[in-house]
Amino acid sequence: MRRSAQGRGRLLIIILIVTALFLITLDLRGVGVLEGARQASQTILSPFQRAGTVVLSPIKNLISDITRLGRTRSQIEKLRADNAKLKAELLNRKDADAQLDQLKSVLDLAGTAGFKVINARVISQGSSQSFSQTITVDIGSNAGIKKNMTVLSKFGIAGVVKDVYSNSALISLATDPSFRIGVRIAGSQQIGILSGRGNRSANLQLIDNLTTVQVGDILLSRGSISNRPFVPGVPVGYITAVDNSAGAIAQSATVYLYTDFSALSVVAVVLGAPANNPGDVLVPLKPQPTPIPTVTIYVTPSPTPTN
Amino acid sequence: MIRRQISTALPIYIGVFIFQEAVVNQFHLPGGGFSLILIFSLIWAILSSPELAALGGFIAGLLMDLSQSSSGPIGQWTLLMIAACCAVSYLGSGSESLSGNPLGFTFLTTSAIFLVEIAYLTTGALLGVTVGGFTQTLITLIGITIWSLLVTPLVLPIFSRLHAFTFNTRSML
Repeated sequence: MRRSAQGRGRLLIIILIVTALFLITLDLRGVGVLEGARQASQTILSPFQRAGTVVLSPIKNLISDITRLGRTRSQIEKLRADNAKLKAELLNRKDADAQLDQLKSVLDLAGTAGFKVINARVISQGSSQSFSQTITVDIGSNAGIKKNMTVLSKFGIAGVVKDVYSNSALISLATDPSFRIGVRIAGSQQIGILSGRGNRSANLQLIDNLTTVQVGDILLSRGSISNRPFVPGVPVGYITAVDNSAGAIAQSATVYLYTDFSALSVVAVVLGAPANNPGDVLVPLKPQPTPIPTVTIYVTPSPTPTN
Repeated sequence: MIRRQISTALPIYIGVFIFQEAVVNQFHLPGGGFSLILIFSLIWAILSSPELAALGGFIAGLLMDLSQSSSGPIGQWTLLMIAACCAVSYLGSGSESLSGNPLGFTFLTTSAIFLVEIAYLTTGALLGVTVGGFTQTLITLIGITIWSLLVTPLVLPIFSRLHAFTFNTRSML
């Protein structure tokens, strides 16, 4: 009887082992039923696991907070430092974006006229204690900069190279009172001399008193011999007021300069210009007026008067 | 008799397995943590006859094979658990020193877990299961053994009383 029970027990163990080996064989042969069984078990288990996650999350968080107390504090400090660094990077990025925009525009301008330019970053604004309007750029004679070269902004003329050092150069801005440039009016080709007045408006003195200028006329640089100090065809500004006083020897006008001198961060120094005068190709397009929408209100009178 | 016993034990195995998957696995314990189903089935096997231990091992192994965390083929854990549970059952029933000796129980259970893990690695290597680098495997193996050594004395009275309650026998501990 006892031997029979032992025999049954051994048989059971053998059956179980053979079953396990059978399962391994089936699984290794890629029978889909077994994989389906594993998926089914996971389907059954997943609600329990989700419930476990919900129920245990406060405990897990508590344990995690306790075990990571020191690490959390140092992590906060690290995140604060990272945040400050990212803020600084963001500010630098905004600055870089503005410089990039200026650079693209100035390259577009120079490229349209076929000028050979070298870009420079404004590293300092000149002191106004001597009433001069200057800037210093980060390139000098080492980069091929020479005195009396034209300096462009993204809008047009910015100034002229006044002094050159090995790694920097002093630029006299078009607003400088000593600044003089020969200009012509786009289209009519009338010529004159523009001089700085210390701010964004400059004074235009026309050579020929018989010519007539109009508000809105665009001025371009006339160019110099060997393109120094000025290359031809660069936008300078537009006329905002004309002085028609009787008896004046030469007609004069007030010109609003295109370049925003307060926001200069990138400029281009013209190293060379093509033999052909670019003419009026650089004349900026007139701004298109934005249409203002008209609002029409229809009111239907009510048949009975209201109080 | 054996059919009645195993049908009584089956819900307990499933309950422990669900507890393992839903609760124990939620805590990412260092060193790999512990397997409650492994500890339970080995303690249960020590307290049972070899036939019942083999059946219990079969159920536990099958459940472990069906777990998503199992990387080996279905049947690998089943085979190992049948062998492990049979072995500890023979050792437990043949050794008088284990009766009423929690330390002996703990030592036997932990040793069995260590050996069954090594057997899993060995058979896994033969069956082409990827288990990771040597150092990580060693850390996990040692971690599981240490965790089992810590957890087994805590759960031993509970499982022992549960076994006694299920089969109407006196608790050995």
